[in-house]
Amino acid sequence: MHVTNELELPVFLDRTAADPVAAARVPIARSGAARGTEVWAQGLSKSYGGRQVLDRIDLRIAPGEFVAIVGRSGCGKSTLLRLVAGLERGDDGTVRLDGVPQGEAGADGTRIMFQDARLLPWKRVLDNISLGLSGPDARERAREALAQVGLAERAQEWPAVLSGGQRQRVALARALVHRPRLLLLDEPLGALDALTRIEMQQLIERLWREHGFTALLVTHDVAEAVALADRIVLIEEHRVAFDERVALPRPRARGASGFADIEARILERVLRQPAAQEAAPPQPLPQAPLWRFAI
Amino acid sequence: MSKTSSSPSDAAWRARLHRGLAWLVPVLVLVAWELSARAGWLSSRVLPEPWAVITAFWALATSGELWTHVSVSTGRAFAGLAIGGGLGLALGLLTGTFRIAETLLDSTLQMVRNIPGLALIPLVILWFGIDEAAKLFLVAVGVFFPVYLNTFHGIRSVDRGLIEMARSYGLKGWSLYREVILPGALPSILVGLRFSLGLMWVLLIVAETISAQEGIGYMTMNAREFLQTDVVVVGILLYALLGKLADVLAKALERWWLRWHPGYRSAAA
Repeated sequence: MHVTNELELPVFLDRTAADPVAAARVPIARSGAARGTEVWAQGLSKSYGGRQVLDRIDLRIAPGEFVAIVGRSGCGKSTLLRLVAGLERGDDGTVRLDGVPQGEAGADGTRIMFQDARLLPWKRVLDNISLGLSGPDARERAREALAQVGLAERAQEWPAVLSGGQRQRVALARALVHRPRLLLLDEPLGALDALTRIEMQQLIERLWREHGFTALLVTHDVAEAVALADRIVLIEEHRVAFDERVALPRPRARGASGFADIEARILERVLRQPAAQEAAPPQPLPQAPLWRFAI
Repeated sequence: MSKTSSSPSDAAWRARLHRGLAWLVPVLVLVAWELSARAGWLSSRVLPEPWAVITAFWALATSGELWTHVSVSTGRAFAGLAIGGGLGLALGLLTGTFRIAETLLDSTLQMVRNIPGLALIPLVILWFGIDEAAKLFLVAVGVFFPVYLNTFHGIRSVDRGLIEMARSYGLKGWSLYREVILPGALPSILVGLRFSLGLMWVLLIVAETISAQEGIGYMTMNAREFLQTDVVVVGILLYALLGKLADVLAKALERWWLRWHPGYRSAAA
């Protein structure tokens, strides 16, 4: 074993990150950082049918920062992401994107990757990527985005013939083609095999470094969080249980002892709490106005 | 990959043999039928010999009579389909898309659905007489419900995840409908269409036997009066053929519109 430079760092986890305001002040040493959205959630609460899922969550994410939210299933981490995305409304509290409350500005700068790729099966790969894209150069941009995820030659395929990993690559290209300032990742790699997952993590990290967007990743895989995130936030009992900075240099080598130390510590912290009793929250009943799409 | 020189042609030959075997029984039945008719065991009043059917078909085809009847019947069938299917599609899209339209219309339509179309014949004759309108009405009523029900079901079963995704990518209103909801409902709508095509011919046959001055039904009823069983059989076979053609057409539509769908693609390949 040779000594890696991670070991020369005195502290791997920077405790100041637990303070959201201090975290926002941490300078991000990357050129594209200005392209990212600042996310600021204050006092965010959500309950489904009387069952509390999130309880007064505060979270501040600096522009261009990569934050991973970890926690057991049913802890509300996906709900938090859906609230930031504006897919659902919180019962209480606010989400501000660059200071503007969520919902008041358009969601143009925000894109989501879901656990399933959610490609439209009736559109070819390229048309899936140019979904919602307008302008004369739409197809050219879609082609570029597809090339960035390494699938340029599959442009005219139907999604049904792609593998799970390829579908998620297409979904990533579809998100990136909009040049998002905030990318929300809702366990996008959860359904992939271990090798494809590592490949995808590297791809996501590379594209994040190139594009400089803010990234919020929800995952149950602690190693994935350590590999990708600047900061790891643990949600437990509906609240932020800890919020710590990962001070490993990038690209991060999984075998390095610094990496393993952090992974082990966080995993131990996550496991300390017994499993949440209930499974995923039930879908809320929509309060539909009279004339709207019923689906 | 190296020893494929003989096996593919071998396999192809075997496949051809299998396909040939499938035709063996129908051919034997035809031969037995022809022989028993020639031997006088089978009266031509019961069933004409196959050869007589062929000659009757030829005679009708060369006189041009056949094509008039076929085109009149086909025209009626598709006009009825256009009216009934069009309405079914429109109402299905409406009730599937808007909750308020479902509340207002769906239970009424579900009640009416339980009335068999053919039970309406006495009323239809009273309303429309024995004109074209009566036949179109019967066909339209029959094909309405399969299209309506499957369209409604198709719209409602579009993957919500896809709709949520499309909304978060900025699609709304008509573009959401065109890009996501309609294509998602299409497989189901086409199932409804194929059901309708089957029903369409059944209803048309009944409608044309009530009364008609033209059409395949008229031709067979007329032939029955004169004991021309060969022409009756020609009529029956024509209905079968047209039904099959309509089904092939629907399948071709499925294959084209649903070419993205793994289920339909493998059937096409």
